[in-house]
Amino acid sequence: MAEINNNGNGLAVHVRNVSKTFGTGEARIQALKNVDFDARMGEMLMVVGPSGCGKTTLLSVIAGTLQFDGGDIEVFKTRLHELKQRDITEFRKRTVGFIFQQFNLIPTLSLMENVSVPLLINGVRRSAAEKKARELLEQLGLGGREKDLPTLLSGGQQQRVAIARALVHDPKLVICDEPTSALDKDTGAQIMELLREVARHRDRCVIVVTHDNRVFKYADRMTEMEDGRVARVHETYSEYKQDGGI
Amino acid sequence: MYRLALRMLLGDRAKYVMLVGGLTFASLLMTQQCAVFFGLLSWTTSHMRNMRASIWVVDPKVEQINEVKPMRDTDVNRVRTVTGVAYAVPLYTGIIQARIADGSFKPIEMVGLDATTLVGRPPRILSGRLEDLRLPNTVMIDELAVQRLSLNKNRPLRIGDTFEINDREARVIGICRTDRHFFGYPYVFTTYDEAMQFAPRTRKMLSIVLAEPAPGWSAAQTARQIEKETQLKAYTEAEFERSTIKWFFLNTGIPASFGTTILLGFIVGMAISGQTFYSFVLENLKHLGALKAMGASNGLLARMLLLQAMTVGMIGYGLGVGLTVLFGIAVLKKGQPPFLMPYQLPLFTLVVILLICAFAALLGIRKIYKLEPAVVFRG
Ligand SMILES: Nc1ncnc2c1ncn2[C@@H]1O[C@H](COP(=O)(O)OP(=O)(O)OP(=O)(O)O)[C@@H](O)[C@H]1O
Ligand SMILES: [Mg+2]
Repeated sequence: MAEINNNGNGLAVHVRNVSKTFGTGEARIQALKNVDFDARMGEMLMVVGPSGCGKTTLLSVIAGTLQFDGGDIEVFKTRLHELKQRDITEFRKRTVGFIFQQFNLIPTLSLMENVSVPLLINGVRRSAAEKKARELLEQLGLGGREKDLPTLLSGGQQQRVAIARALVHDPKLVICDEPTSALDKDTGAQIMELLREVARHRDRCVIVVTHDNRVFKYADRMTEMEDGRVARVHETYSEYKQDGGI
Repeated sequence: MYRLALRMLLGDRAKYVMLVGGLTFASLLMTQQCAVFFGLLSWTTSHMRNMRASIWVVDPKVEQINEVKPMRDTDVNRVRTVTGVAYAVPLYTGIIQARIADGSFKPIEMVGLDATTLVGRPPRILSGRLEDLRLPNTVMIDELAVQRLSLNKNRPLRIGDTFEINDREARVIGICRTDRHFFGYPYVFTTYDEAMQFAPRTRKMLSIVLAEPAPGWSAAQTARQIEKETQLKAYTEAEFERSTIKWFFLNTGIPASFGTTILLGFIVGMAISGQTFYSFVLENLKHLGALKAMGASNGLLARMLLLQAMTVGMIGYGLGVGLTVLFGIAVLKKGQPPFLMPYQLPLFTLVVILLICAFAALLGIRKIYKLEPAVVFRG
């Protein structure tokens, strides 16, 4: 961690002046209001804030799953605001790993098949993809269960599989929306340990959106959002607590 | 990914069974009903395969082979003298009653052939010699007649046995095989002159004049020439077949009722598989959205859906056509109901089933194209 230089050149995600509105007229909601946001290489950054403040929306535009109205987003040197839809799909395929609150594993596919999906989408041959998936499952303590269906697993185990899936194609950016809120305290803690391991990587960045104050302590830095804006950035969890966070 | 698409499909047992079941039902219904319909149509022209000739000359009002109007005996000679006719012979055909030994009456289709040439002869003679028809009071009967006219099953009618037609004794000199009569009557062949004796006497007895074109003339040319010179109606084989089938289309409810059933099969198949596949897509929308987020292109997802739809389509089609063939085999053994499955028929069903599947897939594909990958973050 120490060797990583957190100056401007080390930025993994660079968001400037980004806005996003949903709906029109009466139903119009401005979910992001000229947001500025940075995430660094090798860090696990948490995005926190009250419900409806725009955390998921921010995560979605960074991951390239949601189009935004204005502003610039640069993710590992890729300027999303300049890309066509097709190239954004290509960007997601190669650069982003996803971890969801509800795990989103495909129930009819085995663990190995689930984990190999991002590789297959990237055009890797099945045998190679499954070999890699197996190795990763092994590393995450699920060796020998490659052929099982996800429904046989506990929540924590399923989230591990999801982490394996998110990492299998070595993405630079790993995006997690509420990864622990469907898990109990201890399991959540284990998952966060794991994610922090993942973040300890020269050119990787893990962004975690969470409500779950039990896991705040795993953050390298914390970004606090309020009403569609970034309100504060805390360089450590203790700084966040000192500033009155919980 | 395509393998995984199939695994996802097979993993959802209930939907998979529904889809295959719906498509099996649709292809079974369509193929089977078409085959029965074609079979029925082929029955309408069975006379033409049981009495064969190049040119069929009939009363001008006759449009179809199953309903002939008697002509004058002299019409044979009028046809003979037409240029382009190699020869022309009389033929009697009519449904009359046969009386068997226990006194009961059975309807038969009596066919009277020209004694000299025996033109109009049955296509397959199983036993006996057709030439023996030239002996008095003789008949050649088909297999159905053997069944119908025998007193009991253990002692089927054989060569040398007799029964009565119109108080005259008829002696069996041979047995032949025929295509099934449209009304299901057995065929009894005799000579034209004998038929005049067997059949109830009326003013006009000649049913059809069978003719062959002279060398250098086509059947159609000769037929036109006959019409010109005699004012009778002359059909070539193909023309008479077409005219008969056309008559059934225009004058009976048969095509409409089969058409309705076939359309029903199509609609039900379309509805069941379209609906089921769409709900399969909806149920998997979360996962498809996740795949989309992970970088699967619309094209890839569309091809996956298409593969899934086509797979259930092909399996349903295979089962449906397979069941139809089983049905056909059973039916052809029994001889009832009609059944005819030309190779174009399964091809037609295949195209229709693939269309249904493409339609079902398209419903899902539209959904996929509209799907925002960001939905994966929303519970
Ligand atoms: N697809 C959408 N259509 C309309 N409004 C939306 C949509 N997505 C989000 N919003 C609105 O945008 C605002 C920000 O939503 P967002 O999901 O980003 O909040 P959040 O901080 O993630 O909330 P939570 O903590 O509850 O997940 C909310 O008011 C929400 O209702
Ligand atoms: Mg959210």
